[in-house]
Amino acid sequence: MSLPPDLIGELETQVGPEHVIVEPEQLRVYDCDGLTGWRATPSAVVLPASTGEVQGVLRACSRASVPWVARGAGTGLSGGALPVAEGIVIALTRMDAILEVDLGSQRVVVQPGVTNLDVTRAVEADGFFYAPDPSSQQVCTIGGNVAENSGGAHCLKNGFTVNHVTGLTLVLPDGEAVELGGRSLDADGPDLLGVVVGSEGTLGIVTEITLRVLRTPEAVTTMLAAFHSLDAAGSACSRVISSGITPAAIEMMDRLTIEAAEQAFRPGYPEGAGSVLLVELDGVTAQVEHDARAVEALCRELGAFDVRVAQDAEERRLLWLGRKGAFPAMGRISPDYYVQDGVVPRTRLPEVLRRIEELSAERGLRVGNVFHAGDGNLHPLVLYDAAAGETERAKDLADAILEACLDAGGSLTGEHGIGVDKVCAMPGMFSERDLEVFTRLRAVFDPAGLANPGKVLPTPRLCGEVPGPFRLHPLERMGVAERF
Amino acid sequence: MQSASEVLRPASLQEASDALAAASTSGRTLRIGETLLTDRLNRVLQHEAGDLTCTVEAGIRLSELRAVLAPHGQRLSLDPPGDPTVGACLAASLSGPLRHRFGGPRDLVLGVTLVLGDGTVANAGGTVVKNVAGYDLGKLVCGSRGTLALIARVSLRLHPVQSAAATLVVETGDAAGVAHALLRSQLQPSALDVLHPGRVLVLFEGVEPAVDAQLAAARALVGGAAGDEDAWAESRERQGAALGRLRFAPRDLRNTLSTLREAIVRPAVGVAYVPNRVGGVPPAGVRRLERGLKAAFDPAGALA
Repeated sequence: MSLPPDLIGELETQVGPEHVIVEPEQLRVYDCDGLTGWRATPSAVVLPASTGEVQGVLRACSRASVPWVARGAGTGLSGGALPVAEGIVIALTRMDAILEVDLGSQRVVVQPGVTNLDVTRAVEADGFFYAPDPSSQQVCTIGGNVAENSGGAHCLKNGFTVNHVTGLTLVLPDGEAVELGGRSLDADGPDLLGVVVGSEGTLGIVTEITLRVLRTPEAVTTMLAAFHSLDAAGSACSRVISSGITPAAIEMMDRLTIEAAEQAFRPGYPEGAGSVLLVELDGVTAQVEHDARAVEALCRELGAFDVRVAQDAEERRLLWLGRKGAFPAMGRISPDYYVQDGVVPRTRLPEVLRRIEELSAERGLRVGNVFHAGDGNLHPLVLYDAAAGETERAKDLADAILEACLDAGGSLTGEHGIGVDKVCAMPGMFSERDLEVFTRLRAVFDPAGLANPGKVLPTPRLCGEVPGPFRLHPLERMGVAERF
Repeated sequence: MQSASEVLRPASLQEASDALAAASTSGRTLRIGETLLTDRLNRVLQHEAGDLTCTVEAGIRLSELRAVLAPHGQRLSLDPPGDPTVGACLAASLSGPLRHRFGGPRDLVLGVTLVLGDGTVANAGGTVVKNVAGYDLGKLVCGSRGTLALIARVSLRLHPVQSAAATLVVETGDAAGVAHALLRSQLQPSALDVLHPGRVLVLFEGVEPAVDAQLAAARALVGGAAGDEDAWAESRERQGAALGRLRFAPRDLRNTLSTLREAIVRPAVGVAYVPNRVGGVPPAGVRRLERGLKAAFDPAGALA
């Protein structure tokens, strides 16, 4: 696709000719994110180096009415950074400076291209860490984390990205830069910061982010409990949460993912386990010791046949090895897999897991379950073979799983975002009226509709004129709200 | 047809929607809490104890919700002065000492049902603790002071009530030094307030041995003596009487205190509640967005 003739020249003036990519083979590097099934080659890629340059680029796009997609490391799993062919990609990877470490305020100020793990690296020698830890944390960027409101295994206790961002510089699609929040919390006025975090790059581009960092906990205990069935592990997870203990993380794996992880990484999980729960507790020593005893007792009571407690950092690493390697390990047992991100209320976990098992049997495709059990965030891995023509069936099964999550009063996505992947499923969770209000909000920030078009909100072009299957909002399903 | 002075007390979403739609049509301006009351929207719609979540109508008062949750050993970790409604907590971004550990309303809200100024009813978020689908209007209305929408229903994250608690009272001439030492430590207090001048309050919650251990470690670090819960009542009372909310970078605590005669200060949050009003106009870009939101959500200006 060709851009308006003067735009490339203007972009080159803004960021320097060496930072504007137009060669087709170089552009192809940017044609997808972590959701590789969706691809589009942008007309150009621009790599600005400062807030001023981002403003210049957005002003130029605004004048030329050219749509754009902001991008960090491209690790997103919902196609949020999928380019639009008639537009440009604005890659923030050159903006990778840590601008200030302010430990007196327990804040770190960064540019969007800084990787998640680098924030922790910048402060860990002083005994601090950055809490959100998406599994791609070695490469994913803070800008992308802000766009997606990223979580991670440890957000159960400490919250998500939105709970750790205290200030933002947001460049609006017309090029104006706006300061939201700062180093203190609870700014006056509507929580614009809270709505920008998680807006998937549809409201502007963040160019400076102030993050809260936390003091490293005094004690950490990691334990692995092996169960014969998935059901038992799900019940144990529910019981731990409802008993009043808030672990730093509770992760769960089923038989299939345990087997795959064993083949790939040999973490040495207990033999014959139908599922394992990985529980991490952190905090002050006396509390952690008490909670660890309580969690172990609960697990045994609910049928755990083996409970292992890591005695040191190396043992902890081994316990986490299988969980962290679960996705890549799937490549060993299946040519292709598709990851879902649905959420269910924690007490509904066992029944939804049983439903997934039924669906898997019905459709004749295997589903591996490895997920953030503590907050009900499932990551079912639908295994299929594209070469054998199973792609459609896999997509159907994945959709049916999401439907089961919504039927249980849950959500389409816990941390991966709507992006383009689940955009046509939005009418299953929100009414037309809800979506219309989302559209109003979006237009306040981006009246011309240039920021990441086609993401988050369904459009007739993407999803067809017929609205998707209508489903009741969770409140309505509970019989406590009526629809208008 | 509403009369111009009638106080409206909708008892359902439909009535709230009708009231705002009518006001939008007739050009009337309603003020939530004065001419538009939520006192009849005060039911607990759902409390799933095992999930540590609940959904309430926003007119419910904190004391009423507390009474429902307490038998289950749970609480909403919001303790602002007085007994405001859940809706008011969101709209005015109200919090108390527990803000230190558990966050403000924006950190505890999972989903909302709003009635916009033009009567449109919209849901956002959900009832689960983790959810990134759609725009987070539940956070957006936090701090909006009822200018964008009536908050009709709120789903909230709850916390378990811990089995033990202890308060440390430190009388000190160097409150900033005490606060920084505690924040720099690995202790995990639920609340940390400076009652300026001269006193720091720290709340520890957990199982008894952990609370005892934290109290002992804190005393070894900054001195002070075990106090009782009444100390917090004073903090909340003084916060409630304060007219201004001043913000500062947490590292500037010492300087901030040196400019204030008296205040209730949350050092990690970077907020000081001060006796006098604090002015302050948001930056131009923020004002522009706020005006845009007002026009989009309340086009006829039905909400004051």
